[in-house]
Amino acid sequence: MAFIECETLTHIYLKGTPMETVAVRDVTLRIDQGEFVAIIGPTGSGKSTLVQHFNALLRPTSGTVRVGGVDLSDPKADRKAVRRQVGLLFQYPEHQLFGETVFEDVSFGPRNLGLPPDEVKTRVEEALRSVGLDPAEFGPRSPFSLSGGEMRRVAAAGVLAMSPTVLVLDEPAAGLDPRGKTEMLGHFRALHAQRGITVVLITHSMDEAAALAKRVVVLDRGRVVMDGPAREVFTRADELTAIGLGVPAVTDLVRRLRARGLPVRENVLTVDEAREAIREALGWS
Amino acid sequence: MELTRYVTIGQYIPRDSAVHRLDPRTKIAAVTMLMVAIFIVRDFAGYALLTAFLLGVIVASQIPIGYVLRGLRPILFLLLLTVILNTFFSGVREGTPLFHIRGIVVYREAVMRAIFIGYRLITLVAVTSLLTFTTSPVELTDGIERILRPFRRIGVPAHELAMMMTIALRFIPTLLEETEKIMKAQMARGAEFDRGGALRRARALVPVLVPLFVSAFRRADELALAMEARCYRGGEHRTRMKELRFAPRDGIALAVALAAAVAIAIPYGLWQRLVL
Repeated sequence: MAFIECETLTHIYLKGTPMETVAVRDVTLRIDQGEFVAIIGPTGSGKSTLVQHFNALLRPTSGTVRVGGVDLSDPKADRKAVRRQVGLLFQYPEHQLFGETVFEDVSFGPRNLGLPPDEVKTRVEEALRSVGLDPAEFGPRSPFSLSGGEMRRVAAAGVLAMSPTVLVLDEPAAGLDPRGKTEMLGHFRALHAQRGITVVLITHSMDEAAALAKRVVVLDRGRVVMDGPAREVFTRADELTAIGLGVPAVTDLVRRLRARGLPVRENVLTVDEAREAIREALGWS
Repeated sequence: MELTRYVTIGQYIPRDSAVHRLDPRTKIAAVTMLMVAIFIVRDFAGYALLTAFLLGVIVASQIPIGYVLRGLRPILFLLLLTVILNTFFSGVREGTPLFHIRGIVVYREAVMRAIFIGYRLITLVAVTSLLTFTTSPVELTDGIERILRPFRRIGVPAHELAMMMTIALRFIPTLLEETEKIMKAQMARGAEFDRGGALRRARALVPVLVPLFVSAFRRADELALAMEARCYRGGEHRTRMKELRFAPRDGIALAVALAAAVAIAIPYGLWQRLVL
């Protein structure tokens, strides 16, 4: 059984007022434990709204959402238990820091769980380490004295300290410099690989999606328009371009080479694969 | 959780109606006249006329009546309290006694007065919300600026006041959204805002307020920079894209509003003596 199951999920904001907008329409989606899924889609396609249903921050206007077998449309469902399992990192989370110290901020979640102080301490330290921050150095500092990238990592640690089994990331690398991006995404890739955490990554970057996710879900105007292995989704370049997205840079390169008459195989996602494919096509291998 | 759903302050409902098209100054003047009339009116005939006039304006403005009534929700408690206090402690000592509770005699006259006062509150809210429903915040502040302009000579910073109002109104939805986002992020980390007593709830809000203030200051700073980058320097010599101009319909509207206000304010008895 899938861990997260959405069945004909629809969400309408401000229903019954003149400002009513349909954000998510009739979405049916299953995500299994241990998957790494990328959700891509143009701005306003309903990505953020969709994922907020995964930990009961939003309730569906119609349809159902089940997480770990619990029906979240049931008002009696234990939302807190669901939020412990599904961690959600919002866009620009560094704007939400509030603690006097990094330690205090990261420990917010574990303290809300009512854990004993020594357990809180271990969790915070572990969380900080897993995003590459030294607890001894950063713990006592004020989060407002950190750089943008460090603040973002502290915010991520705040979610990781909840020890979620599913991690939902809403554009975790947006607005970071190239090194910050690589590092940030590297931490999540490692968490997925080492601890088997399920990751749902919302991104605008086709390269990020291609490099990290095995499965790609494409949203457009609130509907799921494609859902499948990254390799397959990214061969549908024309459709992706039509809704304002694109394909990863190397996939595009290969497409152009093919258009010029070089018979390179099409489903290429990474630089290494592209090198192999081009060598093959040139008969060098 | 949709905070914007519950806050209707300054909410504007765009429609293409005769009331919407009026100059904001006309509407502000008409609302002022009506409010004066509402404070003066004492008799049934006046209230009947006021109700008829308000219904007419609501129909003309194409605002669903449910919306106008929804604006009353926040003052419901105040309304009830006013009516109850006025019924029991009105100071009316004579007239037709209706009933008494623990020695407090309730007179028919007191009940009538309490109902009138309650109805007065309702109409006041209805009139002012009609103004905000039919006038966009920008138009409204433009109108206020123009009305205040003559007072600049005596040191009223008309333009600055209007700009402050515009910016404040502009940021209400933004800050609400921000609050919602921060609360959601913290709920995702196990915070509960709807549990526990008043003290616990208040304490749970502290972690929300800190980032909210930080971001409000950041936004203010960015806005100031952006305004300076576009050479903003206050009201002097500033031209505007949409000049406010009185049209013939504004004259008609003002005349109608004035006539209605006078008709509402003058008691029926006086009318009889004047006309007959």
